[in-house]
Amino acid sequence: MAVANSNNDLLLFLKQDCETCQLVKPVVDDLKKKGVDIEVYVQDYPDYYEELSPNDDTSLEASFNWNVETTPTLIQTSGKGSTLRVEGWDKKGWQDVLGVEDLGENLPDFRPGCGSKSREPGVYENLMATYGDVGIQSRGIELGNWDDDMEICYERGWTDGLPVTPPTDARIWRMLQGTNRKPDEVIGKVPPNLAPITVEKAAINAVLAGCKPEYFPVVIAALEAALDPVFTMHGLLCTTCFSSPIIVINGPIAKSIGMNWGMNVLGQGNRANATIGRALQLIIRNVGGGVPGDLDRSTFGGPGKYTFCFAEDETDDSWESLSVTRGFEKGENTVTLFQGDGIQGFIDQRSQTPEQITKSLASSLLAVGHPKLAEFTNAMLVLSPEHYEIYKKEGWDRNKITEALHKEMIRPGSELIQGAGGIGEGIDTSRADEMVNKFWLEGLLIVRAGGKAGLYSAICAGWTGGRFRHESKPVTKKITL
Amino acid sequence: MIASVLRDPTAETTQLKRNRLAPPASLDGKVVALMDIGKMRGDEFIDRLEQLFKMKNIATKRYKKPTNTRTAPTELVQKIVQETDVVVIALSDCGSCTSCSTHDLNDLDHLGIPGVSILTEEFREAFNGQCEKIGFDGASIFTPHPMQNKTTQELHDFADGILEELLAKITQPV
Repeated sequence: MAVANSNNDLLLFLKQDCETCQLVKPVVDDLKKKGVDIEVYVQDYPDYYEELSPNDDTSLEASFNWNVETTPTLIQTSGKGSTLRVEGWDKKGWQDVLGVEDLGENLPDFRPGCGSKSREPGVYENLMATYGDVGIQSRGIELGNWDDDMEICYERGWTDGLPVTPPTDARIWRMLQGTNRKPDEVIGKVPPNLAPITVEKAAINAVLAGCKPEYFPVVIAALEAALDPVFTMHGLLCTTCFSSPIIVINGPIAKSIGMNWGMNVLGQGNRANATIGRALQLIIRNVGGGVPGDLDRSTFGGPGKYTFCFAEDETDDSWESLSVTRGFEKGENTVTLFQGDGIQGFIDQRSQTPEQITKSLASSLLAVGHPKLAEFTNAMLVLSPEHYEIYKKEGWDRNKITEALHKEMIRPGSELIQGAGGIGEGIDTSRADEMVNKFWLEGLLIVRAGGKAGLYSAICAGWTGGRFRHESKPVTKKITL
Repeated sequence: MIASVLRDPTAETTQLKRNRLAPPASLDGKVVALMDIGKMRGDEFIDRLEQLFKMKNIATKRYKKPTNTRTAPTELVQKIVQETDVVVIALSDCGSCTSCSTHDLNDLDHLGIPGVSILTEEFREAFNGQCEKIGFDGASIFTPHPMQNKTTQELHDFADGILEELLAKITQPV
């Protein structure tokens, strides 16, 4: 339907499922009988407007091409480019466009129209992909009628083992609407292949992962954090260790996009938590080439390599959030990436004072990596609301808790050196006379999250790359909306 | 007919087709599956291959699909995976044989069994097209076409003619 080349001066878009369209039907009928040449397009049931000799626009191509947002829409084209349009029933507007003074005398002066079918949720992006120019540059993989798109994604090696959302132009274009950044902008080079990644490639992988467009700025920020050299994503991917990026979200965006920081926070079930973390992993796999068994040489891997992303509980003002501790303003949206493993459950249902719970937590934190290793890995402690409550009621804040935990984990080097206690593993024998910290002072990250009931907390061991104190660190980045 | 288009999420630094699994460095101690696709007279060709492998002290096991017009039943695929290390699939000389046996080659490759498909020259394009569609860089060897009207001796001669190429494709180049 070559609408753009239509010779008609007057176009009218209608649908049956619109009371205002039905209201104007006799008016248009009358005009047509008087010889006014109006080209009518019907979006749903053309037969309903049979007497108006309408064009069938159930494909919505003409509605899309004329950028119709409302039905009825009356459009007058005058020469090249210049058009007048009236949306809904506006007696004066219609009279002016059509030059008929007594038009619709029996009708009210004004009736608003209905939304155009071409603007219904999920429709517009498909029309864009079919009739518009979405400008996607990535190479296409053509599917035949009998191809199963989900299976093709597996065959191409694009998945982490779970099904992915097939990346069609409509879905990619919709994802790109989640950011103001240009599709061809290069965000960085993704290890291990150090392949350049554009915003468009990130969007394709966010589609695969199942993200919504409003998550996309978070995915981009997480990617930027992962590509910061000091995050050492390259080593983290190729390592024989268990670790992968653990992503913590701070700021109001967590609530805006429906993230979970409460019950089952480190588990399954929340779309934003699940897919943001997964998008980063799929980018590393698909763009970076970080495929298990090839350059991902992890002995065991870990469930976090599918996805590990959650929000901090910022509903209690007495708790200073992770991002504020790391130098960002309260209320700023941030992602923090930590190189970590799965969860070591911490159970303490007996401690009643801050001192008791500190000793108790410290005893479990000492097991991170190996009880005799020190300043060798970082750690993330996910402190539950009930455990925090023990501190809060005595007025302990984040700083005091952190300081007390570090202090509780200082041990004589003589007990930790290699061979001590009949255990080969341990710190260097030269440190036998030192008092030794378990973690670097900045190497213990505490996040408050989890369900309101349960005297448990969660410890995520850090990666062994953390022993290079100044070379491999967690990274926090601002999320730009 | 093109029904839809998906966009490549990779860095596009590699070809679209997935590389086939690397075959073993040598066939010592390995078992080669000789998979008859179930098409007429393929067995005569495979009989000769079996003899040739035996002469070279290479262990083989014979398998046969119930029909060349479908992909191999899951049970057969799993049996080959359990019992062998490399697969030789023969002999495709028609459209459905080619499409189905190429899927068999791909399915076995996914399960850790590298292999080669043997087809007649006429179906070189069909094999390459099917590989293109499923994104698999499968290995193939082609014999003269047609083969249905040949004598048994001629089919054996075809097998003799491709033996060295076959051995090269089911072992890694040194």
